[in-house]
Amino acid sequence: MISVADLLVDNRLPSNYFASDVYVRGTLELGLLENRRGDRLLALPDALMKSIISGLNQETGQATKYVLRNCGLWWGKNFYARFCEELSDYYQKGVAELSMIEFVKALQECWRTHGWGVLALNTDHQMKGFLVIEIKNSPFTLHPIQASQPSGALETGVLQAFFSQLTGRDLTCVQISCESLGADCNRFVLGLENRLESVESLVQEGQPHSAIMQMLTQ
Amino acid sequence: MNPKLEALFDEPERAYLQTDELNALSQFVSSLPERITLYQRLRNEEVTLMQSVADALQQQFSREPEEKLKRSLQNAILMVRYAAMAMLTDDADIVTKRLETWLPEIITAYETRDIDMALYKLIKTQFAGRFSPTQMALLAPGINAAERLITESGSPAESEEEITSETLVSLF
Repeated sequence: MISVADLLVDNRLPSNYFASDVYVRGTLELGLLENRRGDRLLALPDALMKSIISGLNQETGQATKYVLRNCGLWWGKNFYARFCEELSDYYQKGVAELSMIEFVKALQECWRTHGWGVLALNTDHQMKGFLVIEIKNSPFTLHPIQASQPSGALETGVLQAFFSQLTGRDLTCVQISCESLGADCNRFVLGLENRLESVESLVQEGQPHSAIMQMLTQ
Repeated sequence: MNPKLEALFDEPERAYLQTDELNALSQFVSSLPERITLYQRLRNEEVTLMQSVADALQQQFSREPEEKLKRSLQNAILMVRYAAMAMLTDDADIVTKRLETWLPEIITAYETRDIDMALYKLIKTQFAGRFSPTQMALLAPGINAAERLITESGSPAESEEEITSETLVSLF
């Protein structure tokens, strides 16, 4: 028989750690917005995002997306470490012991609560070795970097670093649809570098994401 | 606290509170002793209450793997705790606000919807036998909010099923 007392051994049941009304707090009299662990949070004005891109465009020209991607890689690496630390503190077990759905749900809720949009994992092409991340309402792709090209260089870097660390493989990430170009969401395809070589040029040609995925998985 | 009540305190600079606003506040305050008593009972009798639900559930789903039943029970215990908090604060929204983006997908992924639906029926009948109708009325909004989250969860997509069993490492 199932014993309820056994289910309640440590008397706490993990729930939605990133629920916004408990996750975001602050020591506002000191001007600090914080998460529930006391780490500092920042509200990032849209005008700042816009000025970073236009500043980089002015100073580096074509290099903007590489700079942003690089920033994303750094951010992603640190974000992964912090995310895992928070989760394992909360669940009181290592991240490797969490089920994938718990991990993915936490990532989605984390994304949402920080105001980075709604993230979904599309595993339709997992048998072929590709993972597609779909993000709606991203604040990072609002401002174009280059005309008629996807503008999620920062997120591309974050996702690449995050999932590379999670899977222990050297993954590449390419954005294949962008809200700023009228798509319903931003799509990022993750996979091994040699299998994604052709994608960059397909994106530049303006191929739709469905065609790109079809060519990749043929 | 109930968001409508909480909103009463938002703008002291606007005007003094009106009689009907103060009445709403008094009503909540006068219901507090009963809410606290019920909350204490739910807390003190958690294991007994949920064990009787667990036994009935196991009888009803004797063929289901125990792991699956345990997962559902754990969620149900969590939900009853949320419902208890919702009852204490007169704020059923707390259940929805905290869990609507989280719980339905977990349930969908683990395919426990049928078990969970049955669980809520059992919780309601078992609790109705132990608590007074007034107490049940206080607790109902929270329990119903939790039940709605389960009813709204969809049937699992193939990919979600895989997410529960496989690790992402194996994707590449």
